[in-house]
Amino acid sequence: MSLTQAVFILLGGMAVLGALGMVTLRNLFHSALAMILALFSIAGIYVLLEAEFLAVVQVLVYVGAIAMLILFGIMLTRDIVGRASAVRNRQWPLALAVSAGLLAVLAVALVRAAWPLATYAPAQGGVADLGLALMGPYALPFEVASVLLLVAMVGALIIAREARE
Amino acid sequence: MLPTLSVLNLNGAVPQIAVAGAGMLIMLIDALFHRGSRRWAAYLALLGLAVALARVVESGASAETILDGALARDGLGMAFALVLIVAAALSVLVAMDYLRREEHERAEYYALILFATAGGLAMAMANDLVAVFIGLETLSISLYVLSAFFTGDAASREAALKYLLLGAFASAFFLYGIALLYGASGTTRLVEMGTAIRLAGTQADPLLWGGVALIIVGVGFKLALVPFHSWAPDVYQGAPTSVTAFMSVASKVAAFAALVRLLVVVLAPAAPLTSALLALLAVLTMTVGNILALAQDEVKRLLAYSSIAQAGYILVAAVAGEVGAAAVLFYLLGYAFTNLGAFAVVLAWSRRGEGRLPFSDLAGLGFRRPWTAAALSLFLLSLTGMPLTVGFVGKLYLFGAAVQAGWTWLAIVAVLNSVVSAFYYLRLVVIMYMREAEMPLALQRAGLALGVALAVCAAGVILLGLVPGVALDWARQAVAVVLS
Repeated sequence: MSLTQAVFILLGGMAVLGALGMVTLRNLFHSALAMILALFSIAGIYVLLEAEFLAVVQVLVYVGAIAMLILFGIMLTRDIVGRASAVRNRQWPLALAVSAGLLAVLAVALVRAAWPLATYAPAQGGVADLGLALMGPYALPFEVASVLLLVAMVGALIIAREARE
Repeated sequence: MLPTLSVLNLNGAVPQIAVAGAGMLIMLIDALFHRGSRRWAAYLALLGLAVALARVVESGASAETILDGALARDGLGMAFALVLIVAAALSVLVAMDYLRREEHERAEYYALILFATAGGLAMAMANDLVAVFIGLETLSISLYVLSAFFTGDAASREAALKYLLLGAFASAFFLYGIALLYGASGTTRLVEMGTAIRLAGTQADPLLWGGVALIIVGVGFKLALVPFHSWAPDVYQGAPTSVTAFMSVASKVAAFAALVRLLVVVLAPAAPLTSALLALLAVLTMTVGNILALAQDEVKRLLAYSSIAQAGYILVAAVAGEVGAAAVLFYLLGYAFTNLGAFAVVLAWSRRGEGRLPFSDLAGLGFRRPWTAAALSLFLLSLTGMPLTVGFVGKLYLFGAAVQAGWTWLAIVAVLNSVVSAFYYLRLVVIMYMREAEMPLALQRAGLALGVALAVCAAGVILLGLVPGVALDWARQAVAVVLS
């Protein structure tokens, strides 16, 4: 086993552990911390794949902004920090069966796939190439994404403003 | 080399830009000079949609891409875009008087309808799965917010929360499917993806199958196909009625546009598997939708289950792949008029501050409101598939496409389902005309815009039913020009 493989297994294991913790821990605050572990491990996997820019963005956006926002949200919500919430309801056997089925399908698909290798070297430019791609072939999704963010912002304002009135 | 604006050719993206631009303009004007009535916002929205419609009609179909290959200007995309824009314009008309009556008249409503439409347009015309996904999210998030638009109303809030949670879940499936298809083909561009899949051959590429299955789950949620339908009745009932009207049509048009393009352009080599999967979903969706609709006693919820069943009928033609594309398009055009019209009547008759319209409220309205009742009867007959309405021609064409592609048993199941559906649709007509009201409903004044919307919907249902030739030819020619 090479060092890369060892690091990958470590990071992958941490990501799975974090994800499991997020859905099974009874305390919402602990769940959020487990989620940060998972997101951070994924950033590590990006570094391993030599996608440094993606790793930095992952840490900045997901760990830095989104996870912190969720933590603030939890802490600012009354009566939620210390309380244990139920993680199971009556439908858990059904949910388990569906999840296990999905896992089996994905596992078979991912293991048996003949992964094609790119015929060209990955771009080295990083940010510059990314910028060109966003203004060229991916201009459409980039522009629609700005509308998407606008909608999300307007939506949050509509719901929050009315609730206060 | 830096891309130049001529490479990007923004001229072809005018429909999207006009619609989204009008939405932003509404928000800007509202923030700077908002005083009194918000009727101007509705007119501005209609203007933006009119510009987009004119552009779609005028520029016509050509099998070329713009924005560096991301947006297809082919007949398929343009035709679905046209249906979507018409549906959005009717939704704006339907909402104008309703929002004022319910004291929720705000400019953001129209802006969000426009943003949702822009997302749907991106889905219908995109040649790139990433763009399809972002369009889908823009449409969905606008609809989540619109569902919660009556924020003082607990049912509206609950509907939005259910829709948001389950919708986010479905988006994850769709995104995972995109990732697997990217793994199988090495590209996100639909045309190149189709080429890669054709070259690779379809024998047992597990990534392809996995990706297809997950994408169908994601799209199936948007279309409220059984077994991904459980959100639909609650959300349709809880959301403001004008939003339900828009949602029941726009998200179906956009999702079917993306599904048809995927089936024709990318998954044609995988047709045996996708057809079998979709046929199974179609049978489940039609049957479960119709059976549950039989048990309803409230019009809005009945129409929710009816919309589920209708998606099943449309799926029957989607099973036929390329053969059925024109039928899907024609039926959706008719469905836009029919379903929006039916919801418009619900909205006109329901009590103030209450979205529900129990069957008992309909009693006697056939004679108290002869024109509106006649319109509702027309829409219900069309949903059933009675001759001389667009529903009949549309279903004939849908099921005909299935037979033509060798899915005769599926067409028979669909016809049997239509017979079952006649029971609950016609029951409403019977209640309106044959039963005396025990407690006469206090009716609101309908308003001019709603009247115009109803007249347009009724005219569309009758004209497309009596002289379907022109529209059928248009649909056939449109889907013949597909970028591939």
